[in-house]
Amino acid sequence: MKKILKDLTPAGIFKMTTFMDKIFFFLLIIITTASFFLVKEFIKSGNIVKVSLNNKTQYVLSLTEDKIVSVEGLLGDNVIEIKDGKVHMKDAPCPDKLCIHQGWIDRGAIVCLPNKVVVSVSGDEGKKEFDAVTR
Amino acid sequence: MRNKPEDGKIRRWEDKKIGILNFSTSQLLSFSLLLLTAYCLLSLAGCSKKDKVFRESRIVMDTICTITVVSNSEKEAKEAIETGFTEIKRLEGLLNYFSPKSEITAINKAAGSNRVKVSAETLELLKRALDIAEATQGAFDPTIGPLTRLWGFHDMSQITPDVPQDDKIKYLLPLIDYKKIKIKTSASEVFLEKEGMEIDLGGIAKGYTADKAIEVIKARGMNSALVAIGGDIKGNGLKPDMKPWKVGIQNPRPKTGVRGQGSGVKDEENIFASLYLENKAISTSGDYQRFFLKNDKRYHHIINPKTGYPAGGIISVSVIASDGYVADGLSTGVFVIGAEGGIKLLESLNLSGIIVDSNKKIFLTNDLKGKINIEKNP
Repeated sequence: MKKILKDLTPAGIFKMTTFMDKIFFFLLIIITTASFFLVKEFIKSGNIVKVSLNNKTQYVLSLTEDKIVSVEGLLGDNVIEIKDGKVHMKDAPCPDKLCIHQGWIDRGAIVCLPNKVVVSVSGDEGKKEFDAVTR
Repeated sequence: MRNKPEDGKIRRWEDKKIGILNFSTSQLLSFSLLLLTAYCLLSLAGCSKKDKVFRESRIVMDTICTITVVSNSEKEAKEAIETGFTEIKRLEGLLNYFSPKSEITAINKAAGSNRVKVSAETLELLKRALDIAEATQGAFDPTIGPLTRLWGFHDMSQITPDVPQDDKIKYLLPLIDYKKIKIKTSASEVFLEKEGMEIDLGGIAKGYTADKAIEVIKARGMNSALVAIGGDIKGNGLKPDMKPWKVGIQNPRPKTGVRGQGSGVKDEENIFASLYLENKAISTSGDYQRFFLKNDKRYHHIINPKTGYPAGGIISVSVIASDGYVADGLSTGVFVIGAEGGIKLLESLNLSGIIVDSNKKIFLTNDLKGKINIEKNP
C-alpha cells in the first residue's frame, strides 16, 4: 500500500503512464475546454425572439419553437406567431397594420409603433446585409 | 503498476533515451504535448475575447431607435448601449415639441411676450438650427411649427386628410421667419418676436440626438458604434470584419408599397441604394414619411416655409455629413430648395447627398459618384 502511495507523485505518475495515456489525457482536456467555449458561442448566436411592450421585455422565446403569444398595449392586443423558424405579427390594433405587412422575418425586427411593440430576432448581428436603413 | 523487469532491459518504446541530454522519448514527447495543450487552451480562450456586434432596439422619440456597438465584452457593450438610450431619453424630454415640460414648449408659450431662459444645450442647438437656416436661406426654418400644426403633421398617429384653407395658410406665413428668433447668449435667453410663433426642431432633433448618443457611447470606450434614431443615423469606427457600417437608403417608391418601421428581411426589397458610413451621419427627408392622400394628390410634411405648402419636385433626399444635426437639417432644406439647387448647395458646403426627384431621376454630389451603390431604380 505504502509503495503505491509513494509512487503517486507527479513524477511517479509521469513515469508510470505510457505516452498513449498522456495523449488521451491531453485530448480529454482539449475536448472539455473546447465544448465549454463552443456551447457558449451557440447559446449566444442562438435565434432568440424578444417581444417588448413600451421597451419592457414581455417574452423571450426561441425561433425554433412554434408558438403564438400576445401582448396588450394601450391600443389593444398584438399577436405574435413563431412558426418554422420565422416570426411575424399575426394581428395588431394599429390603424395602418404596417407591422403585419412586414411579413415573416428571421433577422432584424418588426415594430408596431402606435402600440409600442417591438419583436426582435437576435443573433448573427454582424452578418446582416445592412446595418441600418435611412428613411 | 509497472515494475522494471529484472533483466534491466528497456521494454517500453517511450522509455528509450534519445538525444544528447538523454531525455527519454517519453519525456520529450510529453513536453511537446504540454506545449500543444497550452497553445490550444490559449487560443480557445482567445476565441471568447473576440470583437462581436451587439445590437438593441427601443422605441424612443416616437420612433424605433437602434444602437449597435462592437465590443469584446458583452457586459461593457450592454452598459454602453444603456448609456446611449439614457442619453436619447434625456434629449427626448428636452427637445420634444409636444411635451408640455420641454424647454421648447416654454419658449413657444411665451412667444410675443417674454424671454425664456434655457439650458446651454438648448441654446446651442437653436444656434445650430439658425446656422442651417442661414445656409439654406430659410428653406430649412425652425419656426415652421405653426404650419406643421395646421397641416396636422405634428401628430403622426392622427394624420387626417384635410387640406387647410389657403387663407389660413397665408395668415400664418408672417410667423414663419427664423430671423424673428432673438437669442441673448449672455443670459441664455430666447425670445420669439411674434405671438403665435412656434419653434419646431423636428427637422434637426434626431440628427443631433444621434450625435450625442455616439458621444456618450464613445466616452464608454466603444469606438465602433452605430446609432439610428429612426432613419437618422450616425456611424463611428469599423465592424469586426474591418469594414465600415453599411447603410441602405429607403426606396421612396417600393413596389410593395410598404414602409414598415422595422427592419426584417424585406428591407433588401425596400432599399434602392447603399453606402458605407465612415465616421459620418446620414439623414433622409422623404415625401413618404408623413403624408396623406386627398383626391389622388399627395400632401407630405416637408412644408416650404415661403409658400406654406408641401415642397414639390423631389421625393427623397439623403444627406451625408460629419454631424448628424447638419445632415438632418440639410436634408429638409435641400428637399425644399429642389434638386439642382440642392446639389449645388451641398457641394458648396462640402457635403454629400443623393436626391430622387418626382420623375425618379437620381442626382448625386460629385464626391458620391463611385462611393454609392445604386442597386435599383426607385
